[in-house]
Amino acid sequence: MVELYWLQGAVPETAAPTAEMPPWGETKVVGTRQPRVDAYERVSGSAVYPRDFTLPDMLHAALLLCPHPHARVKAIDTSAAEKMPGVRAVLTGRSPGADVPWYGRGDKAASRLFDDHLRHEGDEVAAVAAETPDQAFDALRAIRVTYEELPFVLTPEAALAKGAPSLHAWGNRYGEPSVYERGDLAAGFAAADAVVEGTYSTACELHAPMEVHGSVAKWDGSRLTVWDTTQGVFAVQQAVAEALKLPLAHVRVIGPYMGGGFGSKLEGGKYTVMAALLARATARPVKLFLTREQEFLVTGNRPANTMKVRVGAKKDGTLTAIDYHSMGSGGAYPSGAGTAFLATDLYTCPNVRAVDENVAINAGRARPMRAPGFPQGAWALEQALDELAGKLGLDPVALRLKNVPTVSQRRGNQPYTSTGLAECLRQGAKAFGWDEARARAKGTGPVRKGVGMAAALWGYGGGPPSTAIVKLFTDGSVNLNMGAADIGTGTKTVMAMVVAEELAVPLDRIQIEHADTGTTEYASPSGGSKTVPSDSPAVRAAAVEVRSKLLALAAEEMKVPVADLALDGGSVVSRKDPAKKLAVTAVPGLQRQQVLVGVGTRGPNAEGKVVSEFAAHFAEVEVNERTGEVTVTRLVAAQESGRVMNRLTFENQVRGGLVMGLGLGRTEERVLDRQTGKMVNANWHDYKIPTALDVPAAQEVLSVDPKDTLCNTTGAKGVGEPATIPTAAAIANAVANAVGVRVKDSPITPPRLCALLHARGKVG
Amino acid sequence: MLPSFSYARPRTLKDALTRLSASGAHPHAGGTDLLGCLRDGVFDAREVVSLSDLAELRGIARTKDGGLRIGALATLAELARHPDVVSRYPVLAQGAAAAASPQLRNQGTVGGNVCQRPRCWYFRGDFLCARKGGELCYAENGENEYHAIFGGSGCHIVHPSDTAPALVALGATAVVASAKGSRRVPMEKLFVLPAVDIHHETVLAPGELVTEILVPPPPPGARSLYRKVRSRAAWDFALAGVAAVVSVADGKVTNARLVLSGVAPVPWRVPGAERALAGKPLDAASAAVAARAAVEGAAPLAGNGYKVDLVRGVVEEALTVLATPATPA
Repeated sequence: MVELYWLQGAVPETAAPTAEMPPWGETKVVGTRQPRVDAYERVSGSAVYPRDFTLPDMLHAALLLCPHPHARVKAIDTSAAEKMPGVRAVLTGRSPGADVPWYGRGDKAASRLFDDHLRHEGDEVAAVAAETPDQAFDALRAIRVTYEELPFVLTPEAALAKGAPSLHAWGNRYGEPSVYERGDLAAGFAAADAVVEGTYSTACELHAPMEVHGSVAKWDGSRLTVWDTTQGVFAVQQAVAEALKLPLAHVRVIGPYMGGGFGSKLEGGKYTVMAALLARATARPVKLFLTREQEFLVTGNRPANTMKVRVGAKKDGTLTAIDYHSMGSGGAYPSGAGTAFLATDLYTCPNVRAVDENVAINAGRARPMRAPGFPQGAWALEQALDELAGKLGLDPVALRLKNVPTVSQRRGNQPYTSTGLAECLRQGAKAFGWDEARARAKGTGPVRKGVGMAAALWGYGGGPPSTAIVKLFTDGSVNLNMGAADIGTGTKTVMAMVVAEELAVPLDRIQIEHADTGTTEYASPSGGSKTVPSDSPAVRAAAVEVRSKLLALAAEEMKVPVADLALDGGSVVSRKDPAKKLAVTAVPGLQRQQVLVGVGTRGPNAEGKVVSEFAAHFAEVEVNERTGEVTVTRLVAAQESGRVMNRLTFENQVRGGLVMGLGLGRTEERVLDRQTGKMVNANWHDYKIPTALDVPAAQEVLSVDPKDTLCNTTGAKGVGEPATIPTAAAIANAVANAVGVRVKDSPITPPRLCALLHARGKVG
Repeated sequence: MLPSFSYARPRTLKDALTRLSASGAHPHAGGTDLLGCLRDGVFDAREVVSLSDLAELRGIARTKDGGLRIGALATLAELARHPDVVSRYPVLAQGAAAAASPQLRNQGTVGGNVCQRPRCWYFRGDFLCARKGGELCYAENGENEYHAIFGGSGCHIVHPSDTAPALVALGATAVVASAKGSRRVPMEKLFVLPAVDIHHETVLAPGELVTEILVPPPPPGARSLYRKVRSRAAWDFALAGVAAVVSVADGKVTNARLVLSGVAPVPWRVPGAERALAGKPLDAASAAVAARAAVEGAAPLAGNGYKVDLVRGVVEEALTVLATPATPA
């Protein structure tokens, strides 16, 4: 099953759905192109992100991190730091309340808030709160730490070697290898007419969000308020309440805006608890944010993976067997590193074995990163499929079309609520001009052209719990209250559009309160591409409830049956006799009550069915055979994500996904120094995120909408993650098509490709 | 975060040079790298001397002899778009345009670009390397994909500048001033190898400042270009590059200067490749021969062997492009 990484522990059951809602037919607002409702705030700088947040009397805190990949703290002397100008508190594991289990609960925790056993460069050692940021950083330098340096391991292979140093009491494995099997693998390969085999690897990628991680903490007596840059205020609330042994009701977490997370901000961070402890010790509000360099070390990563793939097929392309093995590392503390799901469920194949191994190493802990495991899985599987197509003499699109499933083999052979894989492949190929591009000459000079494609699925379509509240005021304006964070994806805009659709109210008359555990309703963290499919049905239900109440009150006044009434541009109108209308603001019941409130909840997903999103990406590249330079000249993304709620932000998200996928395929790579175990490229120059010049202007985004009425009451599925899964593999396949050399290790840099081309005798 | 330092903004060059003669004084021109270096502890400063009021260090103008005088404070953006530079010294305009990002080119100066500290990630990072006074060059047995294949001994940095190779190829001269007076240093002699001085990248003595750069008139029949290969299309230093200035008369190469970027601790001239072109027609055949000669003597480390092939590729490509008549002189 797909790792439900955005759900931490047990989650409450949702209440029963509030209203029966038929699927939308034609929509007036939903599906149009709408600029973000908070676009002005975001681009003008008036939006206050947590990093910008300031309070009267606020102190500034800074973190001291371990400079070694593996060490034990023998002694910490903070006396000099405590006497420095402006310093108000120094926090270590010896400080009151700071001995908190971390990375797991209670006895099963893998570490502490501050642990004497430091398992990676960047593990937390101490924190200082001072009057100014500079005073805090100066004080860090005055803390004397005596470290015992320990031998370290930087790769899973080294961690599993005989005599390797152990990171944890139980050793270096995070559980036994996970093995999935169906059918008879040997029989499958025996039946194959062609078999391909290869080892692929992806480099470790970092989230590198624009806004670094951090919090502002303020106590009012025993009650704590935290302004946090997070994808899920309720997850932070739970983590902080647990760490500080506070009732949930005493922890209010507010996350109005956040500058990017990509999965690295799904959980409560140590920095939040440290800020709260420092605030308690000093009786002052405390702001604790990581530096840019620290951000690269401690806030997570997409782990490096090595994947061995063997695939067999009949002459006509029918897959007969897939053998897949993935080795990855959750890093120094438990986290997911699996990549095998895609290989087990993207294509019909009766005989499959898929193994995931996850090993501890002395480097930063992995965290979910935009479709965790899936881009790596696509990098391996989709390149193998490309090779297989070549070996069979089949078109890569045709090979995939031959194996499109209608059921999820991995999930009990249950049918999908909709499957757009075949249409993504067909429509994407058509828009790209695939057949023509394949037939076109690659060129004879040193610069060769090539095209490639890859496909994907994403495994989850949201679900309960989610609660939302909609209020209609006497002047016809509306307030929407929901717990979900808008992590830059346009969630607020989509939800406002849902309200506008049901209440016929213009978007600029809707105010949104969100992401505040004190005043908004529970939503699970915004991750898993599930915010819209989980929360938009709740918002719709709340709006429908308000509409029902309003129409009932209007019916009373108009002496018309409720069933005959509809909302249209600020008025209640009789369907039979449009001359009969009453302005919403003139409905006496509304004026009497002053507000109409609707509460909506998310109902369960359809029983016995699986909700998944699908995608196919197409890439065109130019490769300079002299230098190994690759230019991606064109990208086409065909996405099946159910109903497109806002065409504009849908395209934004897909383009963002393409760019991140291009980063995996072409530029991004964490580099650890083999001698010292320290990261050498922990900055935005040396860790290379693609620039505007690396991304082709020629991008086309297609929506394949099979009108899925089963997935939920808005028909929308997620798009954030499926939009980044196959991009890198499509680029790798295009490079192979251009020069006949397959780069199996990401990223495809000039150094790597130049070396491969030379090894084949084609350079210079 | 930043060390404690005083800040001065003198009105005259004389005053600036006097201040710079003090120990721990650092000039502040564009400032695109200075603050980062101070913040990261790459070096320390007691006084930062702003050059921003010194109008005499600005400007790009033609000299009486038909050459060019470039003030050290001319920005990379100015250099990249200056009509005289673009038309008569394409190699230099292209070098300036290839550096950094638009924002950095608007702010960064040619003097700063030529004199910038290396980008080696050990030198810049939390490592006490040989160049910073430590014992070890971490790159030698470490992560050396981006390091030198020529001229490394005890330190394997590559020179980070894209304009310096062009200026060396053009035979430019730096005017260097200090409180004691001024001197002229050919650009080719401005840079030092680690074998000579492992702690500095230039021959500048403490208190000395590059105030201007003089470029001679382009030789008759000269064609030039700068070609840079990098991992990312903007805001990235050269994996390898070449500044090429080739003069052709009567169908034969009369003079060639080829200077590599990104492969050695200094802008790296390749005399063997230059000789290979002399007297030959500039064509695919001579380009291939010169490209092979350009990598003679290369001593790659474990992780940067690709640079040998890359240099060959980029030199061959550059010369092939120069050989086509469509290339502007």
